[in-house]
Amino acid sequence: MKAIELLESGEEVHGRAYVKLDAGAVKDAVEKLKEGGFNHFVMLSCVDWLNSNEFELVYHMWSYEHREHVMLSVSLSRDNPSMPSLHDVFPQIGTYEREIHEMYGIDFEGNDDMRPFLLEGWHDMPPMRKDFDSQKFEEEVFDSIPEIEEDDDE
Amino acid sequence: MNEYELFIGPQHPGVTGNMMYHLWVDGDTVTKAECNVGYLHRGFEKLMESRGWMQNVPLVCRICVPEPDVNEMAYSMAVEELMGWEVPERASYLRVIVLELARIAAHLMSIGSYGGSLGIYTIPQWSLGDRDYLLDIFEQITGARVYHIYIWPGGVRWDMPDDLPKLIEKTLSYIEKRLELYDDVFFKNRIFFDRAVDIGRIPRDKAIEWGVTGPNLRACGQGYDVRKLEPYAVYEEMDFEIVKYPELGKFDVLSDGGDAYTRMLVRRLEIEQSISIVRQALKKLPAGDHLVKHPNWLKWKAPAGHVYKRVESSKGEYGYFVVSDGSDKPVRIHVRGPSYTHGVNVAETILKGANMADVSQILFSLDVCPPDIER
Repeated sequence: MKAIELLESGEEVHGRAYVKLDAGAVKDAVEKLKEGGFNHFVMLSCVDWLNSNEFELVYHMWSYEHREHVMLSVSLSRDNPSMPSLHDVFPQIGTYEREIHEMYGIDFEGNDDMRPFLLEGWHDMPPMRKDFDSQKFEEEVFDSIPEIEEDDDE
Repeated sequence: MNEYELFIGPQHPGVTGNMMYHLWVDGDTVTKAECNVGYLHRGFEKLMESRGWMQNVPLVCRICVPEPDVNEMAYSMAVEELMGWEVPERASYLRVIVLELARIAAHLMSIGSYGGSLGIYTIPQWSLGDRDYLLDIFEQITGARVYHIYIWPGGVRWDMPDDLPKLIEKTLSYIEKRLELYDDVFFKNRIFFDRAVDIGRIPRDKAIEWGVTGPNLRACGQGYDVRKLEPYAVYEEMDFEIVKYPELGKFDVLSDGGDAYTRMLVRRLEIEQSISIVRQALKKLPAGDHLVKHPNWLKWKAPAGHVYKRVESSKGEYGYFVVSDGSDKPVRIHVRGPSYTHGVNVAETILKGANMADVSQILFSLDVCPPDIER
């Protein structure tokens, strides 16, 4: 696969190139791939692996020229996770970083635009983390609707 | 001149769905635009992590209202890839029929909203009315009008009724006739030329870098379509050409591409193309099963792995990134909606310098669907 040739590492997983990288090496890899024809940045995903106490960031890129999809995978510790921002390589990465910061609490160094994206007035734990119990949250917030009061006049 | 701040939305004809744009305006020129989403955030992705593989099927379609089937398709493709299931050929053909009918319905809706934003209210009335005939077909095939829950991992839910091809053909020829009227009233209308040409231009050399996909990308002269790049279902067997700038058929090329005019014409021409694909699929439809033999519905365990599957929706590349650890529930499902780039970065950039009166047209011409930003 072209991406594996370019980066000289990685394996094929379900028809896609899957490359594991260190956090510091991602920017170089993304720039190298961009020059090598992988000019469509598909998306940036985050996976919470609670058992191994890690976040996995997955950078998806696609090459129209080689018709190939590559996933760059980075593991970050769940304690104070931080990652260099790539918003200057592809503009839309900034938005994904904003969302992941909000939903998983990962810091992206160099991205100053960390305004809330989907949530408003949220002070709890980042909600997409696996240890955030959305059912408990729902019961606490929405199960406490006050009962209809009886009208004394009738 | 004083600068004013203006809030468009969350309820405004500029976008289908609840979404807000915060504009800074100098006179009637937009100097800065910020997209504000979150009104539709329902936490689908989080919810999917706590439900079984099969239980997610009725959920995914609800992510996009105008075209729910692409969600079912991409999700099913990802699960099939993990499970190693081969979809029966008949099911693949039925999937193509449903997906293309859904594309026609979504494009009609998009054209209708654009017409409405120009004040040609005949167009939304017509196109939503005509879309209803397609929903009638969906009701016959799938039992539901909007959320079909038809494409399942391993095939489709039911086979279609025997007499349905007749109804489909009747509807398709009706829509073909109607398209001529749409052309007379809208696509060859002076107002459309005046208000759409050179409006909301995406620079053609920037389109790919900005992550533009689908009709918006093809309007920039890049003939890329997932149906051709990574053919899924049976698109490889179908004979169709990618509609792209500057090949606009019987319509005049009035701009350098990438503008609202070209984007809307690409959609208009894709309706004809989808009609032809549905006809081909009906003609070639083989006999056979419509679903693989499944293990117990509620006890599927998908082998561990990372899968990304993409399909071509009416708005662009729709992708599902599915991660499994081998258990009966997904670890993570990330949905790539095409509007994520179109509605946020692209819109914020191209709205700069636009006239106030063109803002809603620009947004409609990008065909932004807020739920696939928020999921």
